[in-house]
Amino acid sequence: MANRIPSFLLDKPDSDIYSEDRGKIKLSFIERGINQVADVIRSGYIQWDTATNDGFFQRLDARIKMIFLLFFAVIVSLKKEIMPEIYLGSFIFVLVLMSRLNIFSFYKKVFFLGFLFGFLIAVPSAFNVIVKGEIIFPVFQLSKDYRFWVYHIPADIGITREGISAVSMLTIRVVNSLSIAFLVLSTTPFPDIIKALKMLKVPDSFLMVITLSYKYIFIFSKTVEDMHRAKKSRLLREVNSAEARKWAAGRMGFIFRKTRLRCDEIFKAMLSRGFSEEVKIYKPRKLKSRDIIAGAILMITGVFFIWY
Amino acid sequence: MDNIITLKNISYSYYNRIPAVSDISLDIMEGECYSIIGANGTGKSTLLQIMSGLVHHSEGSVFFRENEVSAESLKNRSFLKFFRERVGYVFQDSDIQLFCPTVMDELLYGPLQLEIKESEAMERAKEVMQMLEIQDLRDRPSYMLSGGEKKRVAIGSVLTINPEVILFDEPTNGLDPRTQCFLVELMLALGDAGKTLIIATHDLSLVAELETNVALLSEEHRIEKTGSADEILKDEDLLLRANLIHEHMHVHGDKTHKHRHSHYFFHKH
Repeated sequence: MANRIPSFLLDKPDSDIYSEDRGKIKLSFIERGINQVADVIRSGYIQWDTATNDGFFQRLDARIKMIFLLFFAVIVSLKKEIMPEIYLGSFIFVLVLMSRLNIFSFYKKVFFLGFLFGFLIAVPSAFNVIVKGEIIFPVFQLSKDYRFWVYHIPADIGITREGISAVSMLTIRVVNSLSIAFLVLSTTPFPDIIKALKMLKVPDSFLMVITLSYKYIFIFSKTVEDMHRAKKSRLLREVNSAEARKWAAGRMGFIFRKTRLRCDEIFKAMLSRGFSEEVKIYKPRKLKSRDIIAGAILMITGVFFIWY
Repeated sequence: MDNIITLKNISYSYYNRIPAVSDISLDIMEGECYSIIGANGTGKSTLLQIMSGLVHHSEGSVFFRENEVSAESLKNRSFLKFFRERVGYVFQDSDIQLFCPTVMDELLYGPLQLEIKESEAMERAKEVMQMLEIQDLRDRPSYMLSGGEKKRVAIGSVLTINPEVILFDEPTNGLDPRTQCFLVELMLALGDAGKTLIIATHDLSLVAELETNVALLSEEHRIEKTGSADEILKDEDLLLRANLIHEHMHVHGDKTHKHRHSHYFFHKH
């Protein structure tokens, strides 16, 4: 082997010093995206970590929590006034506190998604163009009214009292629904959620899709992160966006190929262990008196919110 | 010989919770062949990635030729080029390392980034293919290669850059004995050519054959002991403690006895 070592491999670098005058590199959009993918693994780990904490909700049986989730999601959508929604939100906040979750990161996620899927979607209805009503903040004035087919654009455009009420209602409903969902997801290990859904007669094919997708997200994220590191190790200069896109496209093809292979292998592994298109789980543990009492309290509270 | 890589009190933990390496200090000399050994999960690969600036440590400092390697310093264009052309990394999983359309493109990727003339880059690729005996694979895409071929191409893709330091992560994992033997010969030749080789492995026979200096990582993610291969491999108590060898029962004819066992050269009776 020694006599076959190419001569260029015996060359030493010219200098051990580098010049510091060439400036800093900027992270490309794709590189930032890959760093975000790596965060998926981190958030999965944090979910597992918080779900195994010793808090009020963590100690409850997953079946009770799933019923709570469905029941309270219905109550949130039944309420037609803001005050009961605020009381519901406060109740969920107390449950979050009792479950020892990190309030800041919990509500950061809830408010971000609430803003995106609640407030932003509803905000046009604050204007009298969408919801008629008493203008409390005039915004724009046209010379006359306009009528087009079934639409009517009034001369005075502004934010109405009824509009604000509708936007607030929708936003607070979305925030409450998200809080309930995140509360259950953050306090229940993923396998327990699947078992609870199975008990609640959710179809097996649906459960399998969720389970395999959830697992594959982590495998996929790890692979993407590793590939990115492998590329970084051979990267001698800043990469422009076009090159980064080319690399990303090539790697997508690789992942697609790998996914197909893995899909075949997983299915074969499932068949070899007796899979017959039905998800079978061992007998669930009996509900403890603590679960029944806590479940009853949650149900009574729910009924109180319906009645209120 | 000068220090080429220096680690000072390096610690790193995943998600700021699970420790991967704890308070590691090491000096690796230019031209040295150095192994980091330890059982699974002791932090060998993480340590290697910290040395190559792919993972950034939470505490401590890493130096390459007295220049600090950090997330900040690698944002500097000059230092990035200076560092990456001198430090190569061969990943355990060759699949993730090979991202170009064909073997030839893989070998040319590094030299072309270094802005080496195309004729010279082609010459490098040709010579490396000859050395690694992969001339027949030059136009093949990486997904049409066997595990051993992928490993050779992955090594070739690093060698065409001509780095001073080559980091190997579990290089013999999953390879057939012939490819393993080829790899050992290659590493010995690279060592003779003056390259600094750093190998993360739990393959004790590889450490014995290369006669490297060794840092043994404990299951607490710390350095348990450093020394020559001979010194470390003879210390059976140490290897047993580090889970690199084990004790098990054996039946020989009508006799049953218990002894220490490693899947490597000593298997005493």
